[in-house]
Amino acid sequence: MAFDSSPAQPPQAPPPSNPQEFKATAEAVLTNVEWVIEGKAQTIRLALAVMLAEGHLLLEDVPGVGKTQLAKALARSVDCSVRRIQFTPDLLPSDVTGVSVFDPEKRDFVFKPGAVFGNLILGDEINRASPKTQAALLECMEERQVTIDGNTYRLRSPFMVIATQNPVEMEGTYPLPEAQRDRFAARLAIGYPDVNAEMAMLDHRGEYNPLESLQPVCNGEAIVRMIATARAVHVSPELKRYAVDLVNATRSNAQVRLGASPRATLQLLRCAQVLAAMDGREFALPDDVQQLAVPVLAHRLIPTTETTMGGGDTTGVVADILRHVPVVSRMGRF
Amino acid sequence: MSGQRHATLVAAASLALTLTPLLGVFTGIGWTVPVLLTVAVVSTAASLIRAAGRGQGLQTLAMVAALTAVMTAAFNGGTAVLFVIPTLDTFAFWLTTINGGINDIITLAPPVAAEDGILFLTMLGVGIVAILHDMFIVGLRTPALSGLTLLTMYLVPVSVAPEATAWFWFVLPAAAYLWILGDDNLRRVSRFGHRFTGQGRLVGPRFPSPLAGTARTSGALFITATLMLLAVIPTNTSGLVDQVAEGYGGGGGPGGGDLGAVDPWAKLYGQLNRPDPIDVARITTDRSSPGYLRMHVSDFLDPERGFGPSQWEQEDLAPLGSLQYTGGEVYEATVEVLDLPDPVAPVYGRPVEVDLNDDWGVLPDLNVVGSRRTGLDSVESYSFSFTDPEFDASVLNATDPLPEDDPLRERNTAHPEGFTELDSYLEEALGEAETDFEKVLAVQDYLSPTNGFSYSTATENSGDQSVIVDFLENKQGFCQQYATAMAWMLRAADVPSRVVIGLTRGTREGDEWVVSSDDYHAWVEVYFDGPGWVPFDPTPSTGVSGSVPFDWEEEPDPDTDSEDPDDAGATDRPDATDRPNEEPTLPGQEDPGETDETAGADDRAGPGPLGFDPAWLALALLVPLPFVPALWRAGMRRARLRPGRVTALGAWDETLDLAADYGVALNDSLTPKQTAAALAAAAPDAAAPAEALASAVAVHRYSGRGADTGPLPEAVTDLHRALDKSVHPRRRLRALFWPASLAYRFAAAQARGASRVGRLRSKMSWRRSNARGDGAVTGRP
Repeated sequence: MAFDSSPAQPPQAPPPSNPQEFKATAEAVLTNVEWVIEGKAQTIRLALAVMLAEGHLLLEDVPGVGKTQLAKALARSVDCSVRRIQFTPDLLPSDVTGVSVFDPEKRDFVFKPGAVFGNLILGDEINRASPKTQAALLECMEERQVTIDGNTYRLRSPFMVIATQNPVEMEGTYPLPEAQRDRFAARLAIGYPDVNAEMAMLDHRGEYNPLESLQPVCNGEAIVRMIATARAVHVSPELKRYAVDLVNATRSNAQVRLGASPRATLQLLRCAQVLAAMDGREFALPDDVQQLAVPVLAHRLIPTTETTMGGGDTTGVVADILRHVPVVSRMGRF
Repeated sequence: MSGQRHATLVAAASLALTLTPLLGVFTGIGWTVPVLLTVAVVSTAASLIRAAGRGQGLQTLAMVAALTAVMTAAFNGGTAVLFVIPTLDTFAFWLTTINGGINDIITLAPPVAAEDGILFLTMLGVGIVAILHDMFIVGLRTPALSGLTLLTMYLVPVSVAPEATAWFWFVLPAAAYLWILGDDNLRRVSRFGHRFTGQGRLVGPRFPSPLAGTARTSGALFITATLMLLAVIPTNTSGLVDQVAEGYGGGGGPGGGDLGAVDPWAKLYGQLNRPDPIDVARITTDRSSPGYLRMHVSDFLDPERGFGPSQWEQEDLAPLGSLQYTGGEVYEATVEVLDLPDPVAPVYGRPVEVDLNDDWGVLPDLNVVGSRRTGLDSVESYSFSFTDPEFDASVLNATDPLPEDDPLRERNTAHPEGFTELDSYLEEALGEAETDFEKVLAVQDYLSPTNGFSYSTATENSGDQSVIVDFLENKQGFCQQYATAMAWMLRAADVPSRVVIGLTRGTREGDEWVVSSDDYHAWVEVYFDGPGWVPFDPTPSTGVSGSVPFDWEEEPDPDTDSEDPDDAGATDRPDATDRPNEEPTLPGQEDPGETDETAGADDRAGPGPLGFDPAWLALALLVPLPFVPALWRAGMRRARLRPGRVTALGAWDETLDLAADYGVALNDSLTPKQTAAALAAAAPDAAAPAEALASAVAVHRYSGRGADTGPLPEAVTDLHRALDKSVHPRRRLRALFWPASLAYRFAAAQARGASRVGRLRSKMSWRRSNARGDGAVTGRP
């Protein structure tokens, strides 16, 4: 075996970091990334939260607002292996997962790992690849392992896919089916910067590219520890009920043809745990869940034709649900 | 059925109910068919135009057209085109018909046959009213105004035939009005709180609104409160409590509950004001100069109504056989009843025998022959024998007043306290008078034409305190005021007296005395110990046809104080027989205990049999009522913040309730932190305490460990103060006296109840699943 990656073995979980360390590290990463992406603190926070919740991130926005920059900055802030895949229609599944090639010297097939064997995978313009290539990546995302010729290779930890796609240009694209969109823990839109942020950006970018000078502030091991810390954050039964109520509301909403999956509930709470830990709290609050509801739930819903025709979208639906689902369910008035 | 069509139906039906008093105006019920047809056609026309979606203008035009068509069909005299289209000749024909109708109205006394002219006017009037009625209720949606149309309908029969419109005819129109209002408000209530889509369509109009339950309950509460309030408002003389109090006092309101208790005063007035007097009885008697015919006796005095009719029931009547001969010459009389629907039989003087059946009896003390089971309308004629005692002025003058504690004296001198205006007139009238008889004559003289008093039936039909003052001031009135004023003044001067209502002897036609409706009259009886009840008539004889001058209404001549044997018989006799006779024959109604109560009810402050006036109880219940919400709310707050038992959740509940009280808009989808932010936005000072409370409840609820509750009561106090400071004073008062949080909690409790009902209902019947709409898919599209 030429490839150093060992076949599937559960990694030894490092000891969890304490809340202060968690908060400090998270803030360091955020500051780092904010240096590159101006005025998008909340988006960056959510992106980091998805990473620490062991989720995958879908960045969906118009070209040029910094999707790739965000992904790159996040990757650079963490000292870990970063792979980038530019998805094109002719990209093959083996380019993603890796392939066994015949080594004439060893007279054997040797596994050449694909781009997916890294800690952070940047999948640029994921909707430009053919469905079968998309499927290959998405399989890795969920199962965190690759099986080639009967051998199963475990992916690294931490492992995170940050995919970007452009919602406007639909020519020659293969939109992700909702089953595969469901694999992404969250979908974030970056949006245009405000006037001040854009002015500041012009000032900074005039001299140098901040991305070039970005230094990592933590390593993969620290990330793994933080993930463990976040998982230990307390989630009360009331909050679980609230999350379930929210997800249930998407299922019964008249404007939605397909509601969110149970996986969505799970990821909603895991991301909420991370946000709580980033605040230095040992318990999650409904405020955490509310911040995450649109990013985590909206991309999984399929709106009815009437909603689409009426100019509505699932973001609006989730926001509406947030306004109507009681935070404490029938246990008190509020 | 659509709401409008339903309302149309209600409008038409209520109008039909209001037509019932007309039954008393017309003979037979043949007139109902064309009149109801008119209402139906007008309503149908309006309904059809509404169904076509046309506006109020076209609706009214259509109704007018429909009315014209109906009128043409009914009255065309062969001039109409196609039976329903009027021509100019038709209108001319209508004019003649109207003239005929007006003539009929002037000349005929009700009940009348529904002949052409009158029927035409009735149909036209009802049709116009139907148009207005429909407009008010359905078109303009102002059903309260329909009360005017209903009143108009009711006024017609009332003005034409007052005696034909007993109170119970009013019940149906009143019920109709309530129906209209109730129907309209039910529609409002059931819509209360319905959600609307942005396009103005109702969300789920088939399901009751989530607040309908609350609306119904609060509606019922407000109606109850209004009724209680009406009962104690003192200006409302016919207030519920007055009635109840009177009921306790043995008085009973006008109407008393059965047919026989029609107010004799109203009848008196109605009869005297008849445009066309009718003969009510023909009497033959062997007495050459008969006196008055007594019918009712009013012996209790009420400041609001003056002398009220004496209340009695069938049980109070002694059998006719118990009538006793008390001496003097006996005369015979036979009465042919022409129009006397009363439950009392008019008799002269003191009846000795009356040949009426067992349904009739006599009220021993009042000398009234009556019945609660039947009326004179079922009697063609009856005869009776009577004595007609004469009294002598000097004898009357010589009698001693009754002892002060004599129940008869107490009952017949009872009068309301504090009628100071009367006192001055009384002083002027009495002058130097000393004995009871002198006082009587003094008052009678005071009311005589020589003092400027004159007879007029143009005054108000009442004998209450203010009317009597007006009468004494303006010196104009008719027998009711004369008699009431005299008896009242005498009572105020401690002379036992009462008012008698009846008939004068009428006019002589051959051998008969014909008594007409103009001969209804009221006079006064004064009690003298010995002679008994002695009639006096203060009304000037010029105003009363058939009035009889009483010989004893003269100053006693001290010289002629001799005892005429005849008179002595008449005066001494009652002394010997009446007095002992009176006390034992006072069964039931007149026992001493009840006498006290009657007096108590008279001056309206005395205790009833319960020991207090129910109005006070109602008032005692009402006064603290406005403070109940405030007290309740304060108690709730104290319970939540009780030292040592305060919890983060309790403090948070208090926070939310405070926010509700002070009108800070919150909803249950806000997290504690967002709630605190909303409070901080409403009142900047509230930021710190609100945050402390929010973080306490968040820790309590979401951290899995308890929160520190120590500083919470203080935080709540701070928050309360901050909110109190930040709002308008009006809102502050509202938060204190009518805290909104109580209403919310009530609604929440209602909703929980409703959801239980809802679950039950969904178990019982199929309902469209809420969890997944028809358009939902379980997989890929």
